[in-house]
Amino acid sequence: MKVNKEVRQLSRQLLRASFTDGQLDGGRVTSLVKSLIEKKPRNYIGVLDAYKRLLRLEVEKRSATIESATELNAEASAKIVDNLKRKYGPDLATEFVVNPALLGGMRIRVGSDVWDSSVRNRLQRLQEQL
Amino acid sequence: MSTILEDIETQIAGLKTSTSKSNVGVVRDTGDGVARIEGLSDVMLNEMIEFSSGVVGLALNLEETEVGAIILGDTTRVMEGDEARTTGKLLSVPVGKALLGRVVNTIGEPLDGKGPIKAEASYPLEKIAPGVIKRRSVNQPVQTGIMAIDAMVPIGRGQRELIIGDRATGKSTIAIDAIISQARLNKAGEEGRLKDFRPLYCIYVAIGQKNSNVARALAVLDANGAMPYTTIVSAPASDTAANQYLAPFAGAAMGEWFMDNGMDALIVYDDLSKHAVAYRQVSLVLKRPSGREAYPGDVFYLHSRLLERSARVTEEAGGGSVTALPIIETQAGDVSAYIPTNVISITDGQIYLETDLFYQGVRPAISVGLSVSRVGSAAQIKAIKQVAGKIKLDLAQFRELAAFAQFGSDLDAGTKARLDRGQRIVELFKQTQYNPIPVEEQAAVLWAMQNGYLDSVPVEKIKAFQVKLQDHLRTRKEGILNSIVTKKAIDKELETELAAALDEFKSTFQ
Repeated sequence: MKVNKEVRQLSRQLLRASFTDGQLDGGRVTSLVKSLIEKKPRNYIGVLDAYKRLLRLEVEKRSATIESATELNAEASAKIVDNLKRKYGPDLATEFVVNPALLGGMRIRVGSDVWDSSVRNRLQRLQEQL
Repeated sequence: MSTILEDIETQIAGLKTSTSKSNVGVVRDTGDGVARIEGLSDVMLNEMIEFSSGVVGLALNLEETEVGAIILGDTTRVMEGDEARTTGKLLSVPVGKALLGRVVNTIGEPLDGKGPIKAEASYPLEKIAPGVIKRRSVNQPVQTGIMAIDAMVPIGRGQRELIIGDRATGKSTIAIDAIISQARLNKAGEEGRLKDFRPLYCIYVAIGQKNSNVARALAVLDANGAMPYTTIVSAPASDTAANQYLAPFAGAAMGEWFMDNGMDALIVYDDLSKHAVAYRQVSLVLKRPSGREAYPGDVFYLHSRLLERSARVTEEAGGGSVTALPIIETQAGDVSAYIPTNVISITDGQIYLETDLFYQGVRPAISVGLSVSRVGSAAQIKAIKQVAGKIKLDLAQFRELAAFAQFGSDLDAGTKARLDRGQRIVELFKQTQYNPIPVEEQAAVLWAMQNGYLDSVPVEKIKAFQVKLQDHLRTRKEGILNSIVTKKAIDKELETELAAALDEFKSTFQ
C-alpha cells in the first residue's frame, strides 16, 4: 500500500495526540476519529487507515500473549501476569491461549519480544545444533 | 563414539534450563525477493533474520514501523503472516583453503557436486577495510603473463586495477589469463623452482553472467590446471538480485582470509556493471529513493567499500594482500557513464580495451593511451623495468606518427625508424588467449626488441620470430632464463649472454 507523505504525517500526529500521561487514552482516540470523520479533510480515509495501523502496533506493544500447552491454574497465571506487569508496566493487557502444539512449557510474547521455554522450541534448537 | 555421546549430552543439558529470548516480527507483504516485516523492534542493520520456514533474510531497511529485508534462498517459501526472528548474526560465508578448486554460490554452498565443504572458518560478508596503520605500499608484482600489461600497466599485489571495455573485447579473457598465469607460477613455486615465491590464490566472482559463460571459464581454468588454486563464486543471471548484490562481498571475505593469514589473493569481479544493476533492483524494490540513472545514492559507497578491502598489509599484520581486478562493461565505449566513472575513480588505474583494436587483430585490445597503473614500476621486477621503461612512450609516438604516415610517403629516417619500431612492438604485444608468457621470456624478448634485434625482421614475421625465440631460449638456453629469474635484473654478464644467444638464433631464423 502506498502511503503518501501527508497521510503519514497526519496519522502520526493523531497517534501522538492519543496519549495522556504516556498511556493510550480510549476516549481521546474516539473523539479524534469522530472529529476527523466530521471535518472530512483530504484523504481522510487513508489517514484513518494509517492511524488504525499505528494504533494496532501500539496496542500490540502493550499486550502480552501467554501460550501454554495445557490450561494454567489461577495461581500460576496470576503470578505470570504480576511478573509481566512489573517488567512492562501496569497497563499491559494479557491474554491466555492454550496451544497443544507447544507440547509442553510456555511461550510468552510481548510486542516483538518472545520468551520461549516450550518443548517444541527446545527440540527445534536441539535439531539445529545436531 | 563416546565423545559424540558426551557432546550431545552436554548440549541437551544446556537446553534443559534455558528459556530463549528472541525478537520476532510478522511478514506483512512479500514480493520481488523482498519482505516487509512488522515488529522486529530490536533488529540491527544488516542482521540476518530467519523466517519460520527456515529461509534466511537480511535486514536492509529499518523504518519507523517496519523492516525491509531481502530474502536469500527460496523466496516462495516466505508468506504473509509468517513469523520472522532476529538471529544476532551477520551474514557470513565459509572461508579457507578448503574452498580452492570449488564452485560456490553467494553463501558459500557448493555448486559443483563435489560434496560438502569443510571450511576452517567463516567470515562476515561486510567487513571494514584495513586502516592506514595496517597498510603498506604495493611493491610486489602480480605477473599476469600478458606482455602488454606486465610491461606497460603493471599490477602489484594489493592493487585495484580496473578492466574496462565494451562487450566482447576480451575483458574476462584478460582476467582468466591472469589466473592461469598465477596457477603456473604457484605450481613452479611449489616445485621449488622460484626463490622466495609467495603463492597467489585466485577468486573469480561471476555476477549476473550466463551459466554457460561460467561453465566455460571453469572448463578453461580446469584444462589449464588453474582450478587447484582458484575458487569460483557464481551468482548467475538466473539468481536473485539479492544474491548477485552480495556475491562480490562473499568473494572479498574469502580473499580476506588469505590476507589475514599472511597469504596473497587475487579477486576478479566479473562484472561490477551487472552488480550495480542488481543493487539498483534491490534498492528500488525496497523503495529507497533513486538518483541518477535510477541508481540509489549509495552506489558509489557500494563499490568503494568493496574495493577498499583490497590491500597490502604490513609484516606485523601478516604481510598478506588482496588484489582486485574489477571488470566494467561500457556501452559503445562511453567511459563517462555513471558506474564506469565511479569505478575508475575508486581503482588505482585501468586497462582500457577498444573494440576497434580488437577487430584490427590487436589482441588483447589494450589501448595504450588510456590504460594506466597508478602504482607504476614499483610493481615490476628490475629486469622488466630495464627493458620496458621506454615502451609506452615509443608506442604513443608511433600512434601519433602512424596517423600522419598514411598521407605521405616521404618520411625522414628518424620517423621511419620510429614507425618501424612501433609496428614491431604492436606485433610483439599480440598474444593468443589462455597463453600467459613467463616474465623471464617477456624480459628476453623485450630486450631483443630494445636492442634492435627485431629491426631487420619483417613485420609479418615478428610473431613467428618471437615464438621461435621463446622456444629456442626455453630449450637451448635455459640457463639465461633461469638467471633472469634468480637475479631479477639484466646485468652486464647477462647482456653478453643474451646477445650471443640472439646472434646464434638469428643466424638460424628465416
